[in-house]
Amino acid sequence: MTFVPNLEFKKLLLDVHLRDEIKYCYQCNRCSDVCPVAAAAPGRYEPRTLIMASFLGLPQLALGSPDKFMIWGCQVCDTCDEICPNHIELTEIFTLIKNIAVQQGKAPDYYTSQAKTILQFGKAIPMQPAIERRRQKFGIPPEPKCNVDEIKAILTETKLSKKLNMEG
Amino acid sequence: MAESKLLFPGCMIGNRIPYLEASARKVFEKLGVKVEDAPFSCCPDPVGFQSTDKESWLALGARNLCIAEQMGKNIVSLCNGCTQTLTAVNHELKNNPHEKEKINKILKKVNKEFKGTSNVYHFVKLLKEEVGVDKIKSTVTKSLSNLKVACHTGCHYARPSSIMQYDDPFEPKVLRELVAATGAKVVDYTEEALCCGTGASNTDPNVGLTVLKRKMDSIKKAGANAICVICPSCFQQIDGNQKALTKQFGTEYEIPVLYLTELLALAMGYSSEEIDLKSHRTKTEIIDKNIGG
Repeated sequence: MTFVPNLEFKKLLLDVHLRDEIKYCYQCNRCSDVCPVAAAAPGRYEPRTLIMASFLGLPQLALGSPDKFMIWGCQVCDTCDEICPNHIELTEIFTLIKNIAVQQGKAPDYYTSQAKTILQFGKAIPMQPAIERRRQKFGIPPEPKCNVDEIKAILTETKLSKKLNMEG
Repeated sequence: MAESKLLFPGCMIGNRIPYLEASARKVFEKLGVKVEDAPFSCCPDPVGFQSTDKESWLALGARNLCIAEQMGKNIVSLCNGCTQTLTAVNHELKNNPHEKEKINKILKKVNKEFKGTSNVYHFVKLLKEEVGVDKIKSTVTKSLSNLKVACHTGCHYARPSSIMQYDDPFEPKVLRELVAATGAKVVDYTEEALCCGTGASNTDPNVGLTVLKRKMDSIKKAGANAICVICPSCFQQIDGNQKALTKQFGTEYEIPVLYLTELLALAMGYSSEEIDLKSHRTKTEIIDKNIGG
């Protein structure tokens, strides 16, 4: 598969990220060495490859073509950030790439459905009557109600539903 | 004891695993830790929601911090994920004026303003730094000396260290100290710093289980008869998936998982019925056997 460099994509990752850290990657591979997902899914997810795709400006590779596990395999465990000898915040860069993937409709269901639940209820896991009864049984006070209208107003400002492609 | 803090149970503990919250409240009461409730929303999830839209994640996290600021209180969280989100949002907005201005413009629509005046504590940090190991030892009425405990702090407790600024990102010590305070023996195992695999499961459950297997094999090899955790995602993954590992790989574990607050409650003399240990997916009878009912 041929990958076409995209300078806009590269500029986005270089610009948005503080200090242009990504430029300092010399591909030493320590990130992939310590990554628990790279060890569990060899060849399908590699932080080093993702960083290379980012500084070369290869969105097809970074956004998971042919396998979207290439980016969504990152589980934000922050192990690679911690080990990088050049202090590159890899998961910050991967977060940006995932945010772009979401807007292109390329996110796994888990992510989009969680966001829709937060948009509707203000919580990723809304309260249920059965749990309310269990809380009562344990003598835990009822959960204070959060102001869902405020959450919705904030997420209208951040255009979340548009980013999730929920608007026609 | 210091002034009261706002309890941030998080939606996974509060709305799915409430018996963990019950044990925390019991332990806090025994130790004189005063907590109040507040109308927080989702923290929101540092893995799911941040990966989906960082701007929305920052804004909702900042709104929760504003609630604490308006009440003039600090937050104590029962969950690694919530602790990391609230700490990271606080850190980012305090150190990045451009981002702070952008988020405050959004918060203005709901008459809130982020100032950066509240602090966020993981409950482990609170127990170690404000309560202290000696005070905990003084509340132990039942020695847990027959327990051989594998400690698992999980990822978001101390990583990234540049933001979390507490304990060690690869060799955490504080949980070990708190577990040892109950008389339990802390066992060493090779994969102590390894993630539980929950995050990978969101995209591919098989990969998540493969990560978990590596961790569980190491815990079993070390001879642990209990695992102590401080994060509800890790709790669900390790307590809930040991049978799935057996089904998928043919390996058996059956090592009970205790939240630190459950372990402390047992040491303080609460019975396993009082903290509802039977709700766990991995059987906990061996705990009763080892601590004498």
